[in-house]
Amino acid sequence: MTTLQLTNINKYFGTGTSRVHVLKNINFTAKKGEVNLVIGPSGSGKSTFLTIAGGLQTPTDGTVQLEGQPVKSMSSKQRDAMRLNSIGFVLQSYSLVPYLTVNEQFKLVRKVKKENNLTNLSLERLLDKLGINDLRNKYPGELSGGQNQRVAIARALYTKPDILLADEPTAALDSERVVEVGKILQDLARAQNTAVIIVTHDLRLTDFADKVYKIMDGQMSLQMAQ
Amino acid sequence: MFLSLKEIKKEKFRYGLIIGMIVLIGYLIFILTSLSMGLANQNTDAINSWNVKSIVLDKDANTSLTQSLITSDAVKKSKITKNEAYLGQAAVVAKKNGLTKESAQYLGLKENQFIAKNLKLTAGHNFKKSNEVVVDEKFQNDGYKLGDKIKFNSASTAYTIVGFVKNAKLNIAPVIYGNIDNWLAIKSLNGPFRASAIVSKNANFKLKDNQVKTYSIANFISKLPGYSAQNSTFTFMIGFLMIISLIVIAVFLYILTIQKIQNYAVLRAQGIPSRTLVSATLSQSVILVVSGLIIATIFTAITAFVMPAAVPMSFNIPVLSAVGLGLVLTGLLGSLIPIKIILNVDPVSVIGG
Ligand SMILES: Nc1ncnc2c1ncn2[C@@H]1O[C@H](COP(=O)(O)OP(=O)(O)OP(=O)(O)O)[C@@H](O)[C@H]1O
Ligand SMILES: [Mg+2]
Repeated sequence: MTTLQLTNINKYFGTGTSRVHVLKNINFTAKKGEVNLVIGPSGSGKSTFLTIAGGLQTPTDGTVQLEGQPVKSMSSKQRDAMRLNSIGFVLQSYSLVPYLTVNEQFKLVRKVKKENNLTNLSLERLLDKLGINDLRNKYPGELSGGQNQRVAIARALYTKPDILLADEPTAALDSERVVEVGKILQDLARAQNTAVIIVTHDLRLTDFADKVYKIMDGQMSLQMAQ
Repeated sequence: MFLSLKEIKKEKFRYGLIIGMIVLIGYLIFILTSLSMGLANQNTDAINSWNVKSIVLDKDANTSLTQSLITSDAVKKSKITKNEAYLGQAAVVAKKNGLTKESAQYLGLKENQFIAKNLKLTAGHNFKKSNEVVVDEKFQNDGYKLGDKIKFNSASTAYTIVGFVKNAKLNIAPVIYGNIDNWLAIKSLNGPFRASAIVSKNANFKLKDNQVKTYSIANFISKLPGYSAQNSTFTFMIGFLMIISLIVIAVFLYILTIQKIQNYAVLRAQGIPSRTLVSATLSQSVILVVSGLIIATIFTAITAFVMPAAVPMSFNIPVLSAVGLGLVLTGLLGSLIPIKIILNVDPVSVIGG
């Protein structure tokens, strides 16, 4: 079932002679239960693609639809609610609130989204799997880059999102952890019927993907589908 | 509340500085307000202690007690009840060898009228004999004692201090209450004059005479020499100080918000509702301002305690609370400016890719 659909997306930055065409006529759909991997070199437009898909940024033209509803037609309040309830973001940087401990990051979510989050037990298991359960009382500033990334992944999964958007979630992780994170994301797609979209230049994640896209100079093409 | 408290807890030093600044602003405003109230009271304490509503003065005296004289004729034609009292004013320099001279206001009273009967003495007894006087505590602070004999200006008549009263100040000068029969002599005047003025507890009291006029006490006080000028000076000072603190607090909160824009971007990307962010910001301002003001209040209380009696300060709780509330509103107003930035923060521009 299609959950996220991007149709004829173009994105330009700047004006006049400095105007750059970052995304070129992109068509993309993500289905529930699928892991989609978008691979491309630095500057190819990966983050731009992902933030447009998550409604954090608007395309110059084209439409983004979530569960059949155009994001453009939503009020900013509805967009906030959509991000809170249906989308989990793992951003390339700054995914966590710096003045909250790991525990409090989840507590904040519970304060604004009271239901349908992971149970304490499942959260405990997830943190265990990610190897960060003993870091619960630390602030993001006291964690390594990889630990931060893992907390950000746990934070994104905590709300049981319909769509998980992850930007370079494994950039700072060693191969063992990459496998662990790959498995967790694959499990998530299977068990919770989540549409997972990962943009990365980390080829180690291809093993866990159902579909692999390539993005190059703003143009996207399907490379492999299982 | 959750977010604002957690943030203050994490960034103790940064928020400590801001609270410190608010403490200083609050302290300054509290002290200035108290000084202005103190000075205002020194103009009016004596009048306020009589609880009168109106005053009869010579209509050509320009509402000035010093310039006013009321003739015996004018008084005779009217009925003076127990709600009225004579007042004979004379500006004097009181002195006793070895002690500082005091520029004072001699107020002659009739001893069976309500002002004389209601004087609240802190020591000694009321004046009875014609050369006895009751004086403001300022004399006591300057070393005068019960039983001391004082002389006025260059006259040779000696008056004995038989009692002290608190808060007997008129136009910043300490008051000497004595018998009205001595008043004309002290004022070096001759003539058929009965008093400088007649005060009444009745707002509508009138003398049946064409040469006098009844004024409300509020009107009379506003015309006391220098009183309105002093008050408006202080009001403007405090007003400007409030405006400047509004700007300072607003600028601080603005800089603070700009520094935290990444945090807001993260929260917005996570879909935390704007309402939560706005209430976190507002509650944070309130927490900062209120805790700053509590500390400022403690400082003010300590100041009140150690300040020498000679400094005219009056700590009026309702007025200071109103000023404090004004500062809280100022803080809220200041934090409303960055709210627009928070609501418009574009998560992508800060989070980047
Ligand atoms: N806000 C912006 N204004 C102007 N240009 C931008 C903006 N954001 C991105 N770009 C440009 O768009 C192009 C794609 O950027 P994007 O961040 O999507 O790349 P990326 O594939 O995520 O790169 P990386 O792997 O380094 O994260 C880059 O050339 C970048 O300079
Ligand atoms: Mg990127």
